[in-house]
Amino acid sequence: MTDLADGRAPGGARRTLAYWNHEFQRLQAPILRYGFAVVSVAIGLGLALVLQYYGFRDVALPVLTVAIAFTTWYAGAGPSAMAVLLSAACFDYLFTEPLYSFAISARDLPYFFIFLAWAAIVASFSAVRRRIEQGLRETRDHLQVEVEQRRHREEEIRKLNRELAVRAAELESTNKELESFAYSVSHDLRAPLRHVAGFSELLQKQAGASLDDRSQRYVRTILEAAKKMGNLIDDLLAFSRIGRAETNKTAVDLNQLVKEVVAEIGQETKGREIAWKIAALPVCYGDRAMLRLVVVNLVANAVKFTRMRRPAEIEIGCMDGREKDVEVFVKDNGAGFDMQYVNKLFGVFQRLHLPEQFEGTGIGLATVQRIIHRHGGTVRAEGAVDRGATFSFSLAKAQGAAERTGKTP
Amino acid sequence: MSTIGRILIVEDDPNDVELTLTALADYNLANEVVVTRDGQQALDYLYCRGEFHGRSNENPAVLLLDLKLPKIGGLEVLQQIKADERLKMIPVVVLTSSHEEKDMMRSYSLGVNAYVVKPVDFHEFVNAVKELGVFWAVINQPPPGSVKK
Repeated sequence: MTDLADGRAPGGARRTLAYWNHEFQRLQAPILRYGFAVVSVAIGLGLALVLQYYGFRDVALPVLTVAIAFTTWYAGAGPSAMAVLLSAACFDYLFTEPLYSFAISARDLPYFFIFLAWAAIVASFSAVRRRIEQGLRETRDHLQVEVEQRRHREEEIRKLNRELAVRAAELESTNKELESFAYSVSHDLRAPLRHVAGFSELLQKQAGASLDDRSQRYVRTILEAAKKMGNLIDDLLAFSRIGRAETNKTAVDLNQLVKEVVAEIGQETKGREIAWKIAALPVCYGDRAMLRLVVVNLVANAVKFTRMRRPAEIEIGCMDGREKDVEVFVKDNGAGFDMQYVNKLFGVFQRLHLPEQFEGTGIGLATVQRIIHRHGGTVRAEGAVDRGATFSFSLAKAQGAAERTGKTP
Repeated sequence: MSTIGRILIVEDDPNDVELTLTALADYNLANEVVVTRDGQQALDYLYCRGEFHGRSNENPAVLLLDLKLPKIGGLEVLQQIKADERLKMIPVVVLTSSHEEKDMMRSYSLGVNAYVVKPVDFHEFVNAVKELGVFWAVINQPPPGSVKK
């Protein structure tokens, strides 16, 4: 204990104390711990003898108690019990009458009991303190491990994030390249096409009278093919433009939009028997021009594929069960499709019907999907051959605009 | 149709040149047409230099300008014309395949007088060329100093 308080400055003393505390905590081997008990008791005994020699009386008991306390503090329960036994024996042998004998007179018995009780209390306090400290140390180690693991995980997340950013940048540039490729392909294809069509037309005009029927048909076929290719290129251009155009999002009243589209398409379907069934639709959030294109494509498809029905039934409605978005559907009783080809429906230039059956370039649904994906929604198709089809898309509702407007006729 | 203004066409594609000339010929507008095949030649014509050294120093009534041209591009030609005091009054019509919004924006900000996208359909193309020819070479009153027949 002289080591522990060497009279330095308080800060320095505290540091030294902490150092020795730490050093003694490391006493793990039993020999060292029991040795510590013996040494403590021996030092205590020596000190008591010295003090007694200089005339101090009854100091042996407190000094030995302090030695026991130290032992318990630094070496644990077993060594502490040994220190108690050792000091009791030494105390009996050296400090109680008769001296230099282990015999105890009845007069000294209470004295012994007090000593033992005192030693037991100090030892138990020390043991409790030691247990708490042990627990704290374990918790600290545990925390350290956890902190380390967390740091490791964070580092991993950061690494993944960096990789993700790189991927996103790569993807963006690839996308841009693809868009510009699609654009220049469509763009540069237009000029030769104009020439094919133009010069065929000139040929027809110039030599029409002298051509036989078969040659006339050839020229007509060239012109039709050129026209079709023109439509394909225009569609491809429009499709590529959707990918590049900035979306200009506002609140869009789907009722109004559907009414417009149905009126417009209704102009082209005069003479056909179509039973329209249009439910109330919510106000959504999106780019009006793009959403219009979605509705136009779906409604035009429904009209096209119900051509042979008398009457054709087309239903436009929505399933409004969710809080943030709404699913709008267009349902018809037309030609339908086989569900095993459902994944092909939304592909570019994918068609499920022969051109003689239903005309079209096969880009309408790809456009629909692209627009809806750009709005963060999803598209879905359901159908059966000759039993109609249902196309639906989900879209975010306009905030605070969820209330329905009146029913459209 | 008392007078016909001179039309300067800047077009690199020979087929487009032929179709344009055919369309103009159908409406008797083809006799006052000058064809240049790239931006360099067009500027040579306008500045009366190089192969056009000896021509009379008058401006065309209208310039039909393609954007995708060899050597000097259409937008650059447009920029030079609109930056030149003597040439900037010439009406310039961009006649291109490009639907690109940025081409259109750039052309208008440089001061183009009209922007026409070449229709793919032959009839529409002929119609567009005819109407451009009639409007700019016959109906429109060109700025002073233009060639008239």
